[in-house]
Amino acid sequence: MPSKKSSWIALGCEGSANKLGIGLIRHTPTSATILSNLRHTFISPPGTGFLPKDTALHHRTEFVALARRAIAEAGISPADVDCICFTQGPGMGAPLTSVAIGARTLALLWDRPLVGVNHCVGHIEMGREVTGADNPVVLYVSGGNSQVIAYAEKRYRIFGETLDIAVGNCLDRFARVLNISNDPAPGYNIEQLAKKGKQLLELPYIVKGMDCSFSGILTSAEALAAQLLERGPDGAGFTVEDLCFSLQETIFAMLVEITERAMAHVGSSQVLIVGGVGCNERLQDMIASMAQERGGSVFAMDERFCIDNGIMIAHAGLLAYRTGFRTPLDESVCTQRFRTDDVYVEWRD
Amino acid sequence: MSLETVALEHVPSSYRIYLALFRNVRNSGFLHQQLLARNTDFEYAFIDASTIVSRLHLLSAIFKAVNSSANGALKTPNVHSETVVSLSASNNISDAYRRFGVSPSTTDLFVVKITFPSDSTPVPASADAIYKHLKDNVEGDIVPPTDESISSIADVKTVRKNYKLNGLAWLDAVKDEVVKREEIEKLVLSGMALRGL
Amino acid sequence: MAATVSDAAAPAHQFPLPKILTNPASTPPTLITQGAEGRLYKTTYLRPDTACALKYRPPKPWRHPALDQRLTRHRILSEARILAKCRRDGLRVPSVYALDESAGWLMLEWIEGTPVRVNINNRLGNRTEGIEDDEQLKDLMRKIGTAVGKMHSIGIIHGDLTTSNMMLKPPSAGSQSDGAAGLEGEIVIIDLGLAGGGVHDEDRAVDLYVLERAFGSTHPRAECIFDEVLEAYKKSFKQAGVALKKLEEVRMRGRKRSMLG
Repeated sequence: MPSKKSSWIALGCEGSANKLGIGLIRHTPTSATILSNLRHTFISPPGTGFLPKDTALHHRTEFVALARRAIAEAGISPADVDCICFTQGPGMGAPLTSVAIGARTLALLWDRPLVGVNHCVGHIEMGREVTGADNPVVLYVSGGNSQVIAYAEKRYRIFGETLDIAVGNCLDRFARVLNISNDPAPGYNIEQLAKKGKQLLELPYIVKGMDCSFSGILTSAEALAAQLLERGPDGAGFTVEDLCFSLQETIFAMLVEITERAMAHVGSSQVLIVGGVGCNERLQDMIASMAQERGGSVFAMDERFCIDNGIMIAHAGLLAYRTGFRTPLDESVCTQRFRTDDVYVEWRD
Repeated sequence: MSLETVALEHVPSSYRIYLALFRNVRNSGFLHQQLLARNTDFEYAFIDASTIVSRLHLLSAIFKAVNSSANGALKTPNVHSETVVSLSASNNISDAYRRFGVSPSTTDLFVVKITFPSDSTPVPASADAIYKHLKDNVEGDIVPPTDESISSIADVKTVRKNYKLNGLAWLDAVKDEVVKREEIEKLVLSGMALRGL
Repeated sequence: MAATVSDAAAPAHQFPLPKILTNPASTPPTLITQGAEGRLYKTTYLRPDTACALKYRPPKPWRHPALDQRLTRHRILSEARILAKCRRDGLRVPSVYALDESAGWLMLEWIEGTPVRVNINNRLGNRTEGIEDDEQLKDLMRKIGTAVGKMHSIGIIHGDLTTSNMMLKPPSAGSQSDGAAGLEGEIVIIDLGLAGGGVHDEDRAVDLYVLERAFGSTHPRAECIFDEVLEAYKKSFKQAGVALKKLEEVRMRGRKRSMLG
C-alpha cells in the first residue's frame, strides 16, 4: 500500500535559536506545497542578547498556540499529518529541547513518527526547493553558523567555515556595544545604518583557505565603537554609520571570497545563500556580482525562508521520511553541535 | 653588423630594443663620464657585463624598465637608467648604478638602447644610426650577446654577492654546473622582481 | 597551473585580458583557471620558448575599491615574497619572474604536470576497495607530507593547502608515457596567495587541518590513506611532532565548534 501513496504531509518545528517556527508542507512525487508557515520571535532589549533560559521559556509558552494556528491555517486535521519533524540541532540547548518536547508530545498525541532534522540541512533543502537551485554551493550564514557547503557523495560537506564566532554573532555582539535595537533583528538595523556609511575604516581581514575568522574583527570594531561612544563622531573622525558600513564591507567581502573559492574548487557556478544573515541585501548584491562574473547565478530567499522557520524543517524532514528515515523516541535527544556533514543524504543522488 | 634588435614578449609595439655586447672595452672611463655629465647623446643603459649571469637576466631588467616606462611609473629619469636600476635587488638607486652600471674599470660592456616615439622625438633613432654612434664612441670588440659569451664573462661571485645568494647550503650542494647556473638565474630574477619589497 | 584542468572547468565566457597581456606576443595567452584568487594564464616570459604563468588578480567589483586595492597589492607582494623565500630556502615552488602589484599581476615559472587532485582522482577512478593498500598512491601521500613539512620547516604557512594547490611535476619532459595517471615526479607547491610566515605549532596545525578537511571533501574515498601524509610530515622536521599534537586539538575544536550565538 505505501507504494501507492502519492501525497505526504509533514509538520515541522524549529526552535534552535530565538525564533519559534511551525509549518506544514505537502509533498507529491513532483511538487512541494507550503500549507502554513508561522513564526514567533523572542526579541531581547537593546544591548542584550537572548539568553537560553528566557528563549526556552518563550518557545514553551508559544508552542501550543502556534501549532494550533499552523494546523488551522493549513486547513487540515492532525490525521492528515504523516510525520512530526523537529530541529535536533545544532543550536542552543534549552530552546532546542523545549521545542523537541513539543514535537514529541504531538507525535505521541497523534501517533505519528518523529523525524529529527539537522537545522543546516533544513536551510539547504528549503533553499533548493524555493529557488530551484539544482546543485549550488551553499553559503549558510546566521547567528550561530557560518559555513560554505557543497554536496558530494551523499553528504553536505563543509568546505569552509568560521574558525571562531559566527558572522551573525559578530554582528549581534557589535550591535549590543552600540545599543542598536534587536527589533526586528540587530543585523537588519546594522544594514540600514550601513547604507548611510561613507568612510571605510580599516578592519582586520582574516581568511585562511576557505575558512575565515570574525573574532579579531569584532574586537577591532568594538574598540572603534568604544572610541566613538567616548569621543563622539567629531572626535573619533567617523560615525556609527561608517562603522556599520566598514564592518559589513569587510566581513561580507570575506564571505564572498570563501564562497568564490569553494565554487572554484568544486567547479560550480551556482550559489545559494541561506540563514538569517542571508537576508542582507548588501551581501546578496556582493554574492550576485561575484557569481555573475563567474558566469553563474545567485539564489537568495526572502525573510520567510532565510530566517529560521518551521517549514524548512518540515520539508527536509519529509524528504528523509519518504526514504524511510524515522527518529525513534528514545533517540530524539537534541544535539547542540549537530554537524551538517553528519547527515546521510539518502534523498539525493 | 652586431647590434641586435631584441623582440620581447608583451612589450608594447611602439618600443624598439637594441642590444650590443662589447669586450675589451678601453674607454669605459669616458663612457662613465658621459653619463655623469648627462650628455644626451649618450642615452643608453651601459651595464657592466660581469654582473650579468644570462640573457634572460638582462632581458628581465629591460622588460621591467619598459613596463614601468609604458605605465608612466619610472622611478629614475629615463628608461635607460631604469634598466640599470631594474637589475638591483634593492630599492637603493645609487647603489644600483654603482653595482651594475659602467665604471672606469669596466672591460666588458652591455649597451642597451630602447626607443619609442615621444613628443620630443616623434621619430626615434634608427638601428643604423645607433650602431654607428656606438661604433664611433665605444672602443672595444663587439661580439654577439649570446648566453655562451655571457657565461664566460659573468663573475658569478659578484652576482651571488649582488643578490645575496651566499650561504645557501642547498645551492652550494648542486653539483651540475648547468643546473646551478639555472638555479642562480631563477633566484636572481625573483630578487629583481621583488626589489627588496 | 595545470595544462589540463578538466574537472574544475572555467566558465566558457571570455574575460577581458589584463593590460600586460594585450601587448604583442608570439602566442596568445591561454586562460587556465579562474580560481578564486584570480585568473591564471599560460603565456610567455620574454622569449617565445619560455612558458610562464601569469597570475592576475582583477579588481573585484563587489569589494570596496579601497579594500580591493589594499588586498590586491598586499597579496601580490606577499605571494612573491614568500615564493622568493621558499626558493632561496630550497623548497620547490614556482620561481618569480616579474610582478606589478599595482596592476595586480605576477609572472611565475610555468610548472609542467597536473594538480595532485587530478592524479589522485585518476588513480582512484571508480575504485572503492584496495585503496588503503595502494602503495604508489601512499607514496604520493608521503611526498605531499614531506613537501608540506619542508615548507613548514622554513617558516612558511600556506593558508590554502588543497590537492589543487600542489602540482605533480613529471620527472622529465620526455617521459610522459603514463600521462596524468602516473604518480611519479616531484611535488611543487603552488598558489601561495594566502601564505604567510609562521613558526607556531598552532599555525602549522591549522594549515594541516585545512589540508585534511579539503582532502576529505575532495577525495572522500582516499581519506583512509591521509595518515600517510601526516606520517611523512612527522619525519620531515624536528618540530613536526608537536605540530601534529596540536592538530589533534585543532580537530577537536573544529568538531566541537560552538554553533551557539
